Amino acid sequence: MIALESIQLKLGIAEPWVESRGTHWLSPGSLGLRDVAKVMIESHARFITITCYQLPGVDGFRLEYHWDLDGCLVGIPFGIAGSSIDSIFDLSEAADWIEREIHEEYSIDFTGRAYEPLLLREGDKLGVNLRETATPGASAAGAAAQKEVAK
Amino acid sequence: MSYKIPMGPYHPGLEEPYKLDMICEGETVQDAELHIGFNFRGIEHLAETRNYIQVIALMERVCGICSNIHTLTLCQAMEQLTSLEPPPRAKYIRVVMAELERLHSHVLWAGIAAKLMGFKTMFMTCFALREKVMDVLQTISGNRVNYAMNCVGGVNRDIEDPAALIPLIDELEREMVRTVIPIFTTSSTARSRCAGIGVLTHEKAISCAVVGPTARASGVAQDLRRAAPYAAYAEMEFEVPVEQAGDVRARLFVRALEIIESCRILRQALTKMPVGEISTGTDKFTFATGTATSRVEAPRGEVMYSVSWKEGSRNPARVHVRTPTYANMPAVRWMVRGARLADTPLIQASIDPCYSCTDR
Repeated sequence: MIALESIQLKLGIAEPWVESRGTHWLSPGSLGLRDVAKVMIESHARFITITCYQLPGVDGFRLEYHWDLDGCLVGIPFGIAGSSIDSIFDLSEAADWIEREIHEEYSIDFTGRAYEPLLLREGDKLGVNLRETATPGASAAGAAAQKEVAK
Repeated sequence: MSYKIPMGPYHPGLEEPYKLDMICEGETVQDAELHIGFNFRGIEHLAETRNYIQVIALMERVCGICSNIHTLTLCQAMEQLTSLEPPPRAKYIRVVMAELERLHSHVLWAGIAAKLMGFKTMFMTCFALREKVMDVLQTISGNRVNYAMNCVGGVNRDIEDPAALIPLIDELEREMVRTVIPIFTTSSTARSRCAGIGVLTHEKAISCAVVGPTARASGVAQDLRRAAPYAAYAEMEFEVPVEQAGDVRARLFVRALEIIESCRILRQALTKMPVGEISTGTDKFTFATGTATSRVEAPRGEVMYSVSWKEGSRNPARVHVRTPTYANMPAVRWMVRGARLADTPLIQASIDPCYSCTDR
């Protein structure tokens, strides 16, 4: 818990950590992803993964960055309005594959990095797996459910 | 002059399909590129089309070796969304299944490692032992691969006479201690093939964020059973084996010691198993809107599930799975650098890779 408070202090966030269903969440406010990642790495947090949610319409995406801090699971969500967000690959090489996977599955561009050949799919068509591209119907309902959950 | 040697996606040195492009100078590997996804199944997308019963059966098929671990992690996440707490006996049964699966996985890996060392007799010995573990799993669950043990709020099958399984565990441990572990740890053949090769330094293990035995063999003392106990692990006494060398031999040592610790945990769980129900018994529950996350220490390392649900919906809105091989695999690139070409099949196998998990 001391480590959590220390991270909060380093980031200068007044809003407290919220423990919910297995994860300690911290809202980064206006802080940039890379600033948060630097503090997490300085605090010896271990990068776990990024979970991506697509929000329908112009709302874009929500990316949850998960870190482990001595057995404590930490989640820091970032919303993106468009289809791009900074890469943290140069800060944490453990983020390499998941950034490439999200790039392929959701067609999100992680800026500041080069992509090696596609990880999971052949060809050059991005976002064909998890990104909802269809208009009304079952897939749109799925995206609406994700939006509801991500609130 | 450097040249590129592709290994895979279908190669006698690999058990499953992935590709390792190695850039070599003579017999020495200078660098490597990894390619996965040859059997990518889109399971996360498929999960959004399954209800809460079907999704358990689906996620059990993410991995062919640690199928139980995937349903355990998923069910723990779904239990947080439904506010269901499994009864104590169910938690003990979950520990028994998880440790049997660890035994099964580690012995299977030992057999494959022996085969890659050219040690065919040990390969057969390990697979004979693995059969005994699978017999125990079959006795409990009725199945040999996909056990269908976990459900939301507990487990599907009881272990009616836990004490009857203890002699089987004793026999397994005796065989491991008498034959498998001494040969792997003391024979000159194993030492010459494993010591000092495929080194992953402590610093690189941290920067790559590797997990499980791969991390513990590089001096990273992390184990979720100890750091963030789930099921009934908080009530178990066990050691977390850690080695410092970071080579193939250290990874072998860690798994060998974990086999003994698993037997120790199994004996405790079977002896202390409380009487009572094996599930909450209710089939009327609702999922709250939101996201729940659960992590479990699988045989290969940490598995994480992030499950999102919208209240009133039959299906999950999102299921994200982070498997241990997905975290460990990129580190192979650093392990094979500077290695002899002939050692690379054993080096890549030393992380106990699971491409079924990776190509989920």
